[in-house]
Amino acid sequence: MQEIELEVNGVRRRLSVEPRRLLADVLRQEFGLSGVHIGCAQGACGCCTVHIEGVPRLSCLTFAVQCDGASIRTVESIGGVRAEHLLQEAFRSEHGLQCGYCTPGYIMTLVPFVSRMVEEARMPEDEEIREAMSGNICRCTGYHGIVAAVRKAIGDQMAASGGANHAG
Amino acid sequence: MQADRPRHVGARVQRVEDTRLLSGTARYIDDIRLPNMLHLSFVRAQYAHAKILEIDTDGLADLAYPTIVFTGKDTAGIAVTAHQDFPEMQFSEQPVLAEDKVRFVGEPVAAVLADDPYDAEDAAELVFIDYDPLTVVGTMAQARDPEMPAIFDNWKGNIFIERQMKGGDLDAAKAEAAHVIRRTFYNQRQTGVPMECRGVVAEYDQASRVLTVWTSTQIPHLVRTYICEELGLPESRVRVVAPDVGGGFGVKGQVFVEEVLVPWLAMKTGRPVKWIEDRREHMMASIHARDHEHTLEAYVSAEGRLLGLKADISVDVGAYSTYPFTAAGDPGMAAKVMPGPYDFQAYEATFRALATNKCPLGTYRGVARPSAVFSLERLMDEIAAELGMDPFEIRLKNVIRDFPYKNVLGFTYDPGSYAESLEKARDLLAADIAEAARSKASSDTRIGVGCALFIEQGAHGTPDFTRRRVPIETGYIAARVEMEPDGEVIVDVGLQNHGQGHETVMAQVAADVLGVDPSNVYVRQGDTLTTPYSVGTWGSRGGPLGGGAVHEASKILAEKLRAIAGHLLQTDKEKIVLYGGKAQVDGAEDRFIEIRKLCRIALRNVDQLPEGMIPGLEAAYSLDGSADGTYANALHAAVVEIDIKTGKMKLRRFLAVEDCGTILNPLIVDGQVRGGIVQGIGSAMLEHFIYDEECQPLSTSFADYLMPLATEIPNIEVHHIETPTPRTPLGAKGLGEGGAIGPAAAIANAVADALGISVLKTPLNGNEIWRLATAIREGE
Amino acid sequence: MRPTPFEYHRAESLDHALALLAEFGEEGRPLGGGQSLVPMMNLRLARPAHLVDINGLPLDFIEVEGDVLRVGALVRHERYLKEKVIGERFAAFHDAVQWIGHPTIRSRGTIGGSIAHADPSAELPAVAMLYGATIIARSANGERRIAADDFFLGAYMTALEAGEMVVAVEFPLPPAHSAGAFMEISERRSDFATVSVGAQITFSGGSITGARIVATGVELQPIRAIPAEEALSGKPLSACEARAAGRAFAEGIDPISDNVASSEYRRSLAAELTSRAVEKACQRALEAGQE
Repeated sequence: MQEIELEVNGVRRRLSVEPRRLLADVLRQEFGLSGVHIGCAQGACGCCTVHIEGVPRLSCLTFAVQCDGASIRTVESIGGVRAEHLLQEAFRSEHGLQCGYCTPGYIMTLVPFVSRMVEEARMPEDEEIREAMSGNICRCTGYHGIVAAVRKAIGDQMAASGGANHAG
Repeated sequence: MQADRPRHVGARVQRVEDTRLLSGTARYIDDIRLPNMLHLSFVRAQYAHAKILEIDTDGLADLAYPTIVFTGKDTAGIAVTAHQDFPEMQFSEQPVLAEDKVRFVGEPVAAVLADDPYDAEDAAELVFIDYDPLTVVGTMAQARDPEMPAIFDNWKGNIFIERQMKGGDLDAAKAEAAHVIRRTFYNQRQTGVPMECRGVVAEYDQASRVLTVWTSTQIPHLVRTYICEELGLPESRVRVVAPDVGGGFGVKGQVFVEEVLVPWLAMKTGRPVKWIEDRREHMMASIHARDHEHTLEAYVSAEGRLLGLKADISVDVGAYSTYPFTAAGDPGMAAKVMPGPYDFQAYEATFRALATNKCPLGTYRGVARPSAVFSLERLMDEIAAELGMDPFEIRLKNVIRDFPYKNVLGFTYDPGSYAESLEKARDLLAADIAEAARSKASSDTRIGVGCALFIEQGAHGTPDFTRRRVPIETGYIAARVEMEPDGEVIVDVGLQNHGQGHETVMAQVAADVLGVDPSNVYVRQGDTLTTPYSVGTWGSRGGPLGGGAVHEASKILAEKLRAIAGHLLQTDKEKIVLYGGKAQVDGAEDRFIEIRKLCRIALRNVDQLPEGMIPGLEAAYSLDGSADGTYANALHAAVVEIDIKTGKMKLRRFLAVEDCGTILNPLIVDGQVRGGIVQGIGSAMLEHFIYDEECQPLSTSFADYLMPLATEIPNIEVHHIETPTPRTPLGAKGLGEGGAIGPAAAIANAVADALGISVLKTPLNGNEIWRLATAIREGE
Repeated sequence: MRPTPFEYHRAESLDHALALLAEFGEEGRPLGGGQSLVPMMNLRLARPAHLVDINGLPLDFIEVEGDVLRVGALVRHERYLKEKVIGERFAAFHDAVQWIGHPTIRSRGTIGGSIAHADPSAELPAVAMLYGATIIARSANGERRIAADDFFLGAYMTALEAGEMVVAVEFPLPPAHSAGAFMEISERRSDFATVSVGAQITFSGGSITGARIVATGVELQPIRAIPAEEALSGKPLSACEARAAGRAFAEGIDPISDNVASSEYRRSLAAELTSRAVEKACQRALEAGQE
């Protein structure tokens, strides 16, 4: 067992873990974060995506011990229990989810992508959006609604931040 | 009376289930955690066909933590059986833990329990099984070879069942035919792959003698009945709960051995037991699909009229018959639906289920229809090519136009829009068709356009099931609607959502009838404790029958509300309109009483009820489908671009013109269509579950079993035609599976168009496209 | 699908890491991005008793020293797309990176991991061979410099010895008059290649003076396409007979066959992609000449 400290969704906690425990399992078991889903446990589906130091990472390919001292965010911290982040709102209005199992992984993969596009003040082509989510598998939606949701979220966020200059 | 007021049914209502799914607060099977719970890890068969000589569990004693292990000796006699009650059927029985033999790689052999899932997995590695390998039956040809040893001791050969279906005079059709066109088509083995694997948690409460089973299933009541029958328990004391289910697509529409074993283990150990399937287990040992070979022979007149069709259908259904649709499900369905949307009156099908040492075949979105449509729609293009006709022309010549239409097997189709959808698609594709024609001059890049016209029988009624003589005797859906003293509505429906948005759609339906807002309707499903007995969610029946049952039950309640309101407002109840939370007198909007007030009266202030009226606001309705069900129709079209030199195929465009009758929620309908189409694209181009000669599975991970990613898929265009059916209360037809049915045929037809050759099998991956393009490549 | 038990060690310095790896020998594995190792561990196909986490080590450098581009073992794939020197001098490298996995993998996977893992169809081993790179391996016994041509021995097999780890890859800067391109065919965009081919040419006075061509998907490690390289020598950039070069290569190979692709398909792709990569390289050479 190894003693580590994690900051998860803004809360610091010390805990003792076996080195082989996957971050996904530790977040689910020790932190009760059921929004972290495991789809394949081999890095091929993106369901388990969380942010480590702000970067989307696969929590099924990460050991919790590696994250000692790190700051981790899961979908629970993105838009609260009402899922009020603009990207979550867009997933709702564009039907970007069906069974919902892959959805937290998509949100965690795409929130930074949306932010980057808003910062760069540009609306990406569909191809770029699809490439950005090519590490995630959705078996329900046919991807159409997710692509639409990303476009909408970027547009809405640009409008909200006052940047009406939809370049591209 | 209420026709002019805006309604919730038909509106693009956003889904109420989305918030918990988006926020991470949904509860899937792996989120069920109970105190003192044991975790189960399986030891699974490593051979496809072998005798078990010895199981050595001594190694477990050396572990630093406690474990419990069970083998087939402990569970002897407990099995999943699924028979079709015909004398030709050879019966199979899948023990919950293999007893003397294993019959496919992945079959559970021993169950190891520990306090921690990692430890359980470690411990399972210490169970050693001594096998005596047996001859493997690995292909359809081997299964049909009488020289091969039988997989089951008392069997003759390896054919589960072979039967025939026929109608009309095929000899006459053949005699009249100017052309006889015969082709053999094949669809590869694949699997549905929900993103959430399966899982079961069971807890037995000694005090109440109630067994609770949580399982990621589409069919909670059927699971309950099976568990009770197999374990000898009263159904009143077994509760099966399907929590949020992370995709099913039919895969989770069977009763699995694990669903019987885990409750047994919980009762045996006296502790809650949890099993969460991992992806490797899921790929090799849940259920597989397709693996169809069809030989079709068409008898065609000189003008291109289809006069008759002969079909020979073989399906590799793997090692065991699955519950409840049985080994006969896929071949029987293929034979039944083969006649499709075309007008001809002579047909004969021979169909068989072949046993091999592979994972059992079960239901996956479309169930045999994708293969039947692949074969028939490819055949239509082959006929067109032989007669020098255009693919749209041959279809328009043969398509059914007059409804209701009684087909060659005696099924009567409700009204559809077959010809209109063809014409609409032809217009939409005009530019692509022209471009494809121009590309024929190129030996570098070819464009092809292909279409597939099909019908999807859904919402079928009891007679359709009883005639199959399998352990699913009916398909009705029951709903119970209650109102509370504060005016809130509870809808309990015998469905189980796994992505379809039932909570939203059922609330839309009830809200319209009861005159309340959908946000005041709480829809419950998937729990046998709260919902009325039903078959669950499969077979494209949630909308038409589930929605219909909710509609009919709500109507009973609405009638009562109107009677109370009429009494209080001193008018005829027929004049009462329920709308916007009010019961008002039609045409006199100031004369109303709030619906929640009516509820209070019906449940509490019952002294105000009309004389003799029984208190309470509860109504139930069980809705069976009409005998022949509903027939949704769709036209799928694909435009492909092929790099002749490399075999790389790009899907440039995919469109659907679909008709599912009344659209209950366009947002959800489009989502179902698009999602199904992308699964169908996977079937057409990528997904292939491969076994080697010893029936060792080679596609057990997402690195080997390739599903479509966002980068492989164009935006999917969906166009609607709405022909409401008279056969369901809301005019809705079954729709959920349709998307997956057409793509393999449409894409194969597009490839055939691009390359000017016959396409007889899938998947159309890079290697296969390259092979098909050989003549063009070498002709340069 | 969870790993077997292991001990975890966070390396404080390179020497610390090497000392640990020396101590554990075959039982120890360095842990970088983990994008290849951890899936193998979850499937229990890899069962190291010790993991030495090297992520904290200062091995994430990309630097040009004289005629050499040195890439530290911990450089993550996504970074190449942002490095000016790679865009300007290593066009084939730049092309290849876009075929590596998907964004989340590219942000975490490392060059050291990709090289040491030696997946037969991975892009970076091919890129290392294409540029005649040198793999810098270190162990407690010191440093070994291994030519990429000698490094990849088969599927998941390399010249690395127990206790040794990749610390950097050195790419000689291509000469001024050179150009390259990388082509790939895979089932899905983010999959490993069915076949990929990289081509790097040098030229003078409008003619090819030398070529280096590397293919994956033909054997269980990347291979040089020597017949194609020879066929191109002296050919004019504007009519380099790339197709003939591709054929020359394909005629002399006997590609592997598996569930993804038959031997014949791979042979055909090897010829076609060689031709396309060479054509693209020549086109880039001509474009550069016009500037």
